[in-house]
Amino acid sequence: MSDRAGLRAPFLALALVLASALPALGQAGGGLGSQTLGRSYWFLFLAYAIAWALVLGWVVSIARRLARVEKELEDPRET
Amino acid sequence: MASPIKWRALTAGIAGVVGIVVLHWMVFFWVPTEATMGVIQRIFYIHVPAAWVAFMAFGVVALCSAIYLWLGDERLDMMAVSAAEGGMVFTTVVLLTGPLWGKIAWGTYWVWDPRLTLTLLLWFIYLGYFMVRAATESPERGKRFAAVVGIVGALDIPLIHLSVVWFRSLHPGPVVLKPEGPSLHPQMLATLLTGFGVFTVLFFSLMAYRFGLERARRAAAARAAGRLRPAGA
Repeated sequence: MSDRAGLRAPFLALALVLASALPALGQAGGGLGSQTLGRSYWFLFLAYAIAWALVLGWVVSIARRLARVEKELEDPRET
Repeated sequence: MASPIKWRALTAGIAGVVGIVVLHWMVFFWVPTEATMGVIQRIFYIHVPAAWVAFMAFGVVALCSAIYLWLGDERLDMMAVSAAEGGMVFTTVVLLTGPLWGKIAWGTYWVWDPRLTLTLLLWFIYLGYFMVRAATESPERGKRFAAVVGIVGALDIPLIHLSVVWFRSLHPGPVVLKPEGPSLHPQMLATLLTGFGVFTVLFFSLMAYRFGLERARRAAAARAAGRLRPAGA
C-alpha cells in the first residue's frame, strides 16, 4: 500500500462507518429508528462516532507522516 | 521525535485515553438526562469541550505566531502549525456534532445564526492559514503570511463567544462562563468540566506529537537542501 493510499485509509473507514449508519438514519422516525432506539439515539451515536473518528484519523495521519519522514531521515539515499 | 517530547506526549496521551473512558462513563451512565431535550443533549459533553479546545488551539496559534513574527524563532512557527492542525480537527468536530444536535433540538441541521456562521468562518480562516503556507513560493514568506492569518483569525474567537449576547440567536447562550456563575445541574457541570480537562490533555498530547512530526520534517528538508547545495556554497 502506498503512503498516499495509507493516508486515505482512516477517512475511507470513517466514510464506511457513516455509510453503514445511513440506512438506519433513513428509517429513523419510522422503522428501526422509532421502534428500538429512536432518532435521538442514532444522532447521539453518530455525533460521538464522528468526533472520535476525526481525532483517531488525525492520530493515524500524524503517525504515517512521521513514519515516512523518519524513514527519509534514516535512509541517506532518499531526499 | 526526540525522547523527552515523545514520552511526555505518550504519558499525556495515555492520561487522555483514560480520561476518555471516564468521560464516557459519566456521559452515558452517571449524568442525568436533560428534561426538555432528552438524550440528544448528551452531545453537549463533546460539542462544548471540542469548541473550548478549538478556541484554545487558535489562541495558541495567535500567541506563537505573534512571538514568531517578533523573534523569528522557528520552534514557535512549528508550535503554531501543530496547534492550527489540531484546531481544525476540533472545529470540524464542533461543526459536525452541532448540526446533529440542532436537527433534533431545532428541527434543522443548520441556520445562518451568528455563532454558527462565525464558527464556520473560523474554520475557513484556518484553512486559509494552511493554504497561504503552502501556496507561497518562499517558505519563509509563507510562514510570515500564515502567522498574520493566524493572528487575525483569532480575533473571530471573542466574536463567536459574544455573538449570542450581542445578537438575537437560536444558539443557547453561555451556561458556564457568565457573570452570575454556571447555571447547570451539579452533575452536568462536573461532566462538562471533566470533558474540558480530557479534551485539553488530549489536545496538548497530540499537539506535542504533531510538533515532533514538524521537527522531523524540517530536519529532513534541511538535510535535503544541504545535499542539493552546490560545492563551495
